[in-house]
Amino acid sequence: MDLNSLNRRTFLSLPVVSVVLPAVAAAMASPEAEAMGRFPTPAVGSVPIDFKANVPAPGRFPDRWICGSSSCMDNHDPPIQVNWYNEHTVFMRQNKAYSFEAPFMHLYFGNERILLIDQGYTQLETDWPLRDVVDSCIAEWCAKHGRKVEDMELLASFTHLHDDHYVGINQFYNRPNTRYMGQTHEEMIGFWGMTNYPEERVTLDLGGRDILIWGSPGHVFSEFAYYDTYTQILHTGDMFYRGRCYISFWDKWFASMKRLMAFLEDHPVTHVVGCHVEISRTGQDYPYGITYQPDEAPMHMPVEVLKHAYEVAKTITKPGIYFTGSVFLCNETRDLTTVDRIAYEYD
Amino acid sequence: MAPIPLYDVSSAESSQAMAASPDPAAPCTSSWPAPKEYDGSDGNPDAPYNPPGARNTDSCLALKPTGEVVHDYTTKGPAPGDLAFRWIHGSVCAAKNTDPRIQVVAYNEDTYVLRENPCVNWEAPFTYLLFGNHGALLIDSGATPEADYYPLRVTVDEIVARWCGIRRKKSVPLTVVLTSGEDVAQNQGIGQFGDRALTRLTPLELGARMEFHGLGSAWKDGLGRIDLGGRLVEVIPTPGTHKDGLSFYDTYTCLLFTGDLLYAGRVQIANDRDYVASLERLQQWKQDHPLKWVLGGHVEMMFVPGRAYPRFSTNRPFEHVLQLEPEAIDEAVEHGRAVVGKPAVVFRTDFILLNRVSPDEKVYQSAPDLPRVPVPYWRSLQ
Repeated sequence: MDLNSLNRRTFLSLPVVSVVLPAVAAAMASPEAEAMGRFPTPAVGSVPIDFKANVPAPGRFPDRWICGSSSCMDNHDPPIQVNWYNEHTVFMRQNKAYSFEAPFMHLYFGNERILLIDQGYTQLETDWPLRDVVDSCIAEWCAKHGRKVEDMELLASFTHLHDDHYVGINQFYNRPNTRYMGQTHEEMIGFWGMTNYPEERVTLDLGGRDILIWGSPGHVFSEFAYYDTYTQILHTGDMFYRGRCYISFWDKWFASMKRLMAFLEDHPVTHVVGCHVEISRTGQDYPYGITYQPDEAPMHMPVEVLKHAYEVAKTITKPGIYFTGSVFLCNETRDLTTVDRIAYEYD
Repeated sequence: MAPIPLYDVSSAESSQAMAASPDPAAPCTSSWPAPKEYDGSDGNPDAPYNPPGARNTDSCLALKPTGEVVHDYTTKGPAPGDLAFRWIHGSVCAAKNTDPRIQVVAYNEDTYVLRENPCVNWEAPFTYLLFGNHGALLIDSGATPEADYYPLRVTVDEIVARWCGIRRKKSVPLTVVLTSGEDVAQNQGIGQFGDRALTRLTPLELGARMEFHGLGSAWKDGLGRIDLGGRLVEVIPTPGTHKDGLSFYDTYTCLLFTGDLLYAGRVQIANDRDYVASLERLQQWKQDHPLKWVLGGHVEMMFVPGRAYPRFSTNRPFEHVLQLEPEAIDEAVEHGRAVVGKPAVVFRTDFILLNRVSPDEKVYQSAPDLPRVPVPYWRSLQ
């Protein structure tokens, strides 16, 4: 092989094809294995997963996400709730008793690479085992789909430049074959090779699975929207989620909404997902910082919720907190984070 | 920003001179309390400790003492006592917190301060247990009803048992009172005492509660008194942050327990006219009675001027101390008067007043006239 013609993709696929194929072929040919009804280990690299056919790939969210407890130190739920949406997609959530922000984290598997979006709100592995959980998800997926963990590159990015979305990143400092985003705007857009933020839409190829990424500022200046072509899930981060969308820059946010509307015109979307849930099924606001949300609304939203919020947003001209019926739009209210009043007021 | 000066303990005059200096480069010291002159009320060799007829428990000399100890609670000025320990303040991951569920600090042999772990409930309320010769008084009851999470009853029973042991008493009756009957950060633990022998519980409802303290329909102007046997606790009606607010003044330690009315935190005024009237009453009280410290029901301030942790925080490594100096009452009166009738957030060095606003209003802010001290790993001022 001409080494000069090697690009990243062909290089990564090299050891997969050359080393593992014979063993797999032997396993598949084994009549005993078939007779016993056991499925042999699938072909390592020989059967690439087709992420383009039969889209959108179906999947399932949990009926209820784990949502805290009345006494935090008596919480015995797992530190991270892992939800396999389908066999190639994982949504995770940080336990509210480990961080009140309870952010969601995503894992998208492709034939050659894995994308981890967001790393939660706790820094140390000894406090909160994000690295262990991600590694075990990757190991599980690789075992099931006949890949070697060391062949899969992990890309760790985040939705936006807020610490509740990247604090866990340093748990990956010694993980081989792993690249992660830096905590400045320049490093963020550099990571995706963008030259015209926020309008430019780039395509990240995970190996047959395309993730579309573009700028989505408004909550903060440095934020991305992610669209997975396989599940057709649109991830709007903290710019739009089921809770209080803190809009720091209205003009930028509204422009990002327009960009989303234009995107919806030629891309089907199964669910819109965000990074938090801060609202009950009945529309009650769970105030910022609370660690128990017993009647929490689902994290995922139908695309109509986003479209409706855009219609509401068109009518907003002044700072304030607006309720669309599904989400709160906190337009330039700075750190006024709630619609609560003083509980014991009297005349 | 200007560096924060080290406090000069060698000379009170020099720090006052700095505060009055017209030099714009002079460091700001005006918001720090001036050192109090030592009044000699403790440690005075001429004071009549252990008077004849009263066996004072300060002494462990007798190897085999006999009979019940009767403590003499008469003191000149505040009885000796201190809060010389750091409070538990939560942890990075609340679920992995290994601190006690209730922290117990002995202020002195007859006065105990209990704090609920912030990782059981973020309100992390303080509860006070006072003993006299004939009775014990529990002021407030915490924010958590479940005894498994917050074993207040067990903790109080253990303190009472040990105290009875050193006083050689079989038992002591307990009275449980509240700084507010409606405050869910202070009334939740009272149910744990429902079946306790020798125990009187305050009712929660306003009218019944005032009656319990011997206050009638004109309760706002009245004054109640709880006699613990040689130790009197005065009950001062102080509505303002709760419509049924009470403060308790202990004549032995000269501590004033104010609950939500005044504490190192974001004080949420529920009715500004009542609030100012109650504080004016405490101001008058301060002039007529010796007052060592104001002890509130919570701590939310950081140890930097004018900044507080937001609601629901379960990790507060930079907390303000619990005690407020008596001058905080004057400061609260002055700034309380200024906000009557209007929505406002008033930032002071040791507390923040919120009137007719959201409880999270300006939660990450401070006032421009206060020193801007950066807090490590915390949001910068906007």
